[in-house]
Amino acid sequence: MTKIWKIIKYEYTRHVFQKRFLFSLLSLPVFVLVMVGVAFIAAFFSIDTSPVGYMDPGGMLENAVREEMDDSIFDPQIEFLPYQDLAQAEADLQAGDIQAYYILPESYEQALQVELVFYDEPAGEIQSQFNDFLTDNLTLHDNLDPQIEARLEDGSLITMKAVDGSREMRQDQWFVVLIPIIAGIMFFVVIMTSGGYLLQAVVEEKENRTMEIVITSVSPNQLMTGKIIGNIAVGLTQLVAWLIFAWIGLKVGGQFWPVLQDFSLPANYVAVLLLVLLPSFVMIAALMAAIGATMTELREAQQVQGLFSLTIMVPYYLSSSLMMNPNSPLAIGLSYFPLTAPVTILMRFSSTVIPVWQIAIHILLLIAFAAAAIWFSGRAFRMGMLRYGKKLSLKEIFGKGVEK
Amino acid sequence: MTIINVTDISKRFGNTQAVDHLSFEVNPGEIFGLLGPNGAGKTTSIRMILNIFQPDSGKISVLDGPMTEEKKNHIGYLPEERGLYQDIPLERCLVFLATLKGMEEHTAKAELEDYLKRFDLYEFRDKKVKELSKGMQQKAQLISTLVHDPQLVIIDEPFTSLDPVNTEMVKDLLEQKRDEGKAIIMSTHQMNQVEELCDRILLIDHGQRVLYGTLQEIQNKFASRDILVTPLNTMPESIKGVREIKKLNGRYFLALEEEAEPNQILKSLINAGVELTEFEIAVPPLNEIFIQVVKKQEAVKHD
Repeated sequence: MTKIWKIIKYEYTRHVFQKRFLFSLLSLPVFVLVMVGVAFIAAFFSIDTSPVGYMDPGGMLENAVREEMDDSIFDPQIEFLPYQDLAQAEADLQAGDIQAYYILPESYEQALQVELVFYDEPAGEIQSQFNDFLTDNLTLHDNLDPQIEARLEDGSLITMKAVDGSREMRQDQWFVVLIPIIAGIMFFVVIMTSGGYLLQAVVEEKENRTMEIVITSVSPNQLMTGKIIGNIAVGLTQLVAWLIFAWIGLKVGGQFWPVLQDFSLPANYVAVLLLVLLPSFVMIAALMAAIGATMTELREAQQVQGLFSLTIMVPYYLSSSLMMNPNSPLAIGLSYFPLTAPVTILMRFSSTVIPVWQIAIHILLLIAFAAAAIWFSGRAFRMGMLRYGKKLSLKEIFGKGVEK
Repeated sequence: MTIINVTDISKRFGNTQAVDHLSFEVNPGEIFGLLGPNGAGKTTSIRMILNIFQPDSGKISVLDGPMTEEKKNHIGYLPEERGLYQDIPLERCLVFLATLKGMEEHTAKAELEDYLKRFDLYEFRDKKVKELSKGMQQKAQLISTLVHDPQLVIIDEPFTSLDPVNTEMVKDLLEQKRDEGKAIIMSTHQMNQVEELCDRILLIDHGQRVLYGTLQEIQNKFASRDILVTPLNTMPESIKGVREIKKLNGRYFLALEEEAEPNQILKSLINAGVELTEFEIAVPPLNEIFIQVVKKQEAVKHD
């Protein structure tokens, strides 16, 4: 056991405490940060804070009251200027004193239509500010119950529910749909990182000829277990670090977008994510180790790894079809194929209700695939460990000639 | 107690009989030469001793019983295909390999410090292994084989890439280990090193035992009845019982006739007034024995 621990420690520290690893760890959040920052700055400079005018020949907005709103840097309160004279409004618009003006026709209460005149369309936030301003002042005359008035201002919020009540989704929580997709991408990146390291670790020992010394110090099983756990730990470290960054991002982002503040993940969601991803992780790690054991050169092994990553990515290429028709034969087929299953299941899970029994079958199948992959890699490793010049063929691995 | 006891082992790979009913034993406190031409089955035999391969038949006992994971801690192995982790500092590499042999990290570090100083590698301990020369890597590899003070040392061509000074140091080290009671199996093609170091040898060819015994026994077995003498004054033209006299670098090589005895030749030389500083029965060098035996084996195989 202590020897396995030493191998885990060696594999872990030789990656995690390297500049290269820190670089790859920080590159994603830094990239996201830079992108968000650029978007922020662009948005900030594109905000036009000049007033918006309105013509109200029907006098509906006479004595209009403007309520103080909770503004933010991206949604500053815009001044609304009443105009009596269309020519004056037009002149001010041309002079750039106002960014646009609304015309409320006398027939507004029947037609419920306004006209907006602009050169550059005002931002959506500004239009909804005017909308609120209009609603507030039009309902003012009706002496409504404040509760009804408040409800009127809130507008609609649609919540969709699955027929069996197992899932529900609020209109303003649309981004929850993205969680399985993001989780899938993270899974992909982490498994490719861990898998890549693992592949490298196994092939390297053959390339630099340390294999024979190592297996006369520890058993092949100890070596393999240590390597798999050590390199998975490297991938998980990366994942945890990213999750921490994401959490910080949510907390900081929540300051600007209130919708992020009530972000929450349902427990069943998390459970399915973990139950699907963990066996997939072990399965792919073991397959990577098997590739490493059968190949003799790192470059060659990386080419095979490339084929694996292409296959795992297939559901992404088909994502629109899979999410529009999550119960199509294609979608169901891909969720039974070991390499495409993890991402496909997550995608379907985000856009339909998969019956519990089906999820159970998928998870059990993935666990079975993981076990088979471990068996396969153990066998490939024992046969391939001392092959320096010659690749191991599939026929040999499944054949009888394995060393006891 | 024997350190290794190999009884009648055989191993076949496909159509090749790599090892064929081989038996031998290795005792504590000896350097045992495992010799043979390329492809004779030396590495396969070593791998079977180390439990990397299982023999098809026969029995192997290592350190008093079958091989176990625990016993790996008491074995030092320098394989033919050698290598170290290239991308990490030398000391870290050696500490890791030593801990895989069951050493605690701090003991490993302390022991390694001594070895690294002895092998003039101490100042390179923070360098990446790939930055070291071939000879330095070879020394590092030897350190890794010996640092955990194994009961059994198995080394394949230990002197490759070493200069004469380092070769001498490694020889001293191996002799020191032998004197401490360790068993050392050395596989090499450098016959002069075998003559200098080995107590007993096993020569295998086509997986079979061809020669086995002490160096002395084997050389005596192959000794011709020829004599080497170094005279101070002139040698007579002919000597009774000597069929041919050849001069070699100030020494004389006397080939004896069938019936002649070395004692009788010595007597004749003294009677003839020759003053001798050296008189010895010519022992064939191991190199010649090796070539002779292997060629004979080849001839037998072809017949």
